[in-house]
Amino acid sequence: MGFPTAPIVTIAFKDLAKSNAASRGMPLERITFTPHPLTNKTDAEMYAALEGNDPVTGKNVMKEIVDALTVPLTAEEKKTGTISPDTGPPTYSDTPKNLQRFYADNNMTDYMPIVLPTEEEVEAMLKGTSHKPDEIVGKLSPAKGAFPEWTFNVRQVAINAVMAGAQPEYLPVILAIASTGQPSLFSSTSSFARMVVVNGPIRDKIKMNYGIGAMGPFNDANATIGRAWTLLSKNLGGCGMPGQTYMGTHGTSLNYNNICYAETEDKLPEGWTPLHVQHGFKKDESVVTILSGWSLSNICYFPSGAYPELIKNWLTHFFSTGNGSATLVLDPTVANDVKAHGHATKEDFANYLMKETKTPAWMYWDSPFNRNSLDQAKAGVEPYATYLKMGPEANLPFSRYARPTRPGAPDAPRSGIEIVVMGGETNTYWLGGDFSYLTSASVDKWA
Amino acid sequence: MKLNRRKLLSLIGVSPAVLAGESAMGADSKPKRNAAAPMAAKLEVLNPKGQPPTIPLIPMAPRIPSLDGKLIYLVSDGFAGADRFLAQIALWFQKNMPAVQTTYRLKEGGLAGDDPKLWAEIKAKGSAMIMAYGH
Repeated sequence: MGFPTAPIVTIAFKDLAKSNAASRGMPLERITFTPHPLTNKTDAEMYAALEGNDPVTGKNVMKEIVDALTVPLTAEEKKTGTISPDTGPPTYSDTPKNLQRFYADNNMTDYMPIVLPTEEEVEAMLKGTSHKPDEIVGKLSPAKGAFPEWTFNVRQVAINAVMAGAQPEYLPVILAIASTGQPSLFSSTSSFARMVVVNGPIRDKIKMNYGIGAMGPFNDANATIGRAWTLLSKNLGGCGMPGQTYMGTHGTSLNYNNICYAETEDKLPEGWTPLHVQHGFKKDESVVTILSGWSLSNICYFPSGAYPELIKNWLTHFFSTGNGSATLVLDPTVANDVKAHGHATKEDFANYLMKETKTPAWMYWDSPFNRNSLDQAKAGVEPYATYLKMGPEANLPFSRYARPTRPGAPDAPRSGIEIVVMGGETNTYWLGGDFSYLTSASVDKWA
Repeated sequence: MKLNRRKLLSLIGVSPAVLAGESAMGADSKPKRNAAAPMAAKLEVLNPKGQPPTIPLIPMAPRIPSLDGKLIYLVSDGFAGADRFLAQIALWFQKNMPAVQTTYRLKEGGLAGDDPKLWAEIKAKGSAMIMAYGH
């Protein structure tokens, strides 16, 4: 940028800050660290942190900041040139037991045993696609824009597919997922989960489960395709290094197979379209759709009324991030009930939910994104002033699931709700969560 | 501070152990390519890693001898509370180094976004930047 800079980072992000500086070409960047967290501290406590010591160096924080801007650069800090990261030799050799340990110890697995990727296994896997092994599939990083992107080819995806235990006929699905550039292990403190929904003829061709237990450990394709996504995220994008490229404070076991399932297309209510068709593909195309979120609740509740009303009320009160996105996974029995109550299409139902759900007042006023509205409410500006008078227990008359979410915003609102139909019809249950649509990719392209 | 290759590789997210390769695995005979091999027999397996980009080293900008009389930009990356924290830094300068001038800015583009307009402004009008922070 051409001027001296002193970045300040809280101690919890020490490894992340240092590795990020290095991967951007400034491995010796002068970073000052403070105690963590600071966000919830008072002004006086923040000031005290400035007068205290950097927990890494033990030096006074403000002296370190001033020094970072004024002490002349060392020869190392002035260095130019390039670094070509080396990710190791093309092959490793040892006993199977030692190799299993080696791959796990070097964070190349999900810490469960893998199928060792011998040349023979990988050649067999590559028969699952017509694409050349050295063709570049795409780029991947733990968070686009925040980390440098790694490049990878078909053969490298195949190696990871073997490790996950996938069959060659699954490879086009795994290549399609990899081609999206979306990691399953997204770098955030919030422990993101990902979901992959498969649509089209490939579902039956590779015998994916979209009936009883489709999200459980009961199907080879569902299990290994989802697992492959996490292995390739680690190995082809540098994702999933706790403290450096992964910061989720709890992590999530959903990352073991990333909620990989297919939509129950043959049991969609008449007039409802599959997810991939909703996103611009033809019904006879095979497609993967990637969704991102955090949590998914299994709603086992028998309403005295209709399901649309129940789902509407659930969405009004559902809370995780409050970000206004939702994905519903409806058993076909529930989907048919929704259709019977007048919702001719998925879009119609999503629009109904968008229009009819309310926003709990406490949630609205508590959000840091609505501070301006709160200031206006306190200044008597309508409709915020009226909303504030309604009290924290009230439900405000607008939906969190309409985008844009600000009441009175000029753009036409659109729904932030995705609907997938899947289940074995053993009961009228459904799943709801905060997942939002990211992207879709053709599987056929990789056949 | 010196930075050796092992430490640098670790910083950019590559485990130095994988670089050891065959020697680390004690390869002393031709491995057998047979998944059904006895547990004691050796296998040759493929490295599953992709290719990280080549990293150009960027020299830091020259430092300034003193902050006295200089305009320092206090820049928030947009994370909650960074504005209040930077306000405390401004207060600290007022109390302890009153010859330093400060001005506050919120960086455009969220946590990871670039803000070339602000960088140009700092280069034209300021002398240095302090940016904060994590959580």
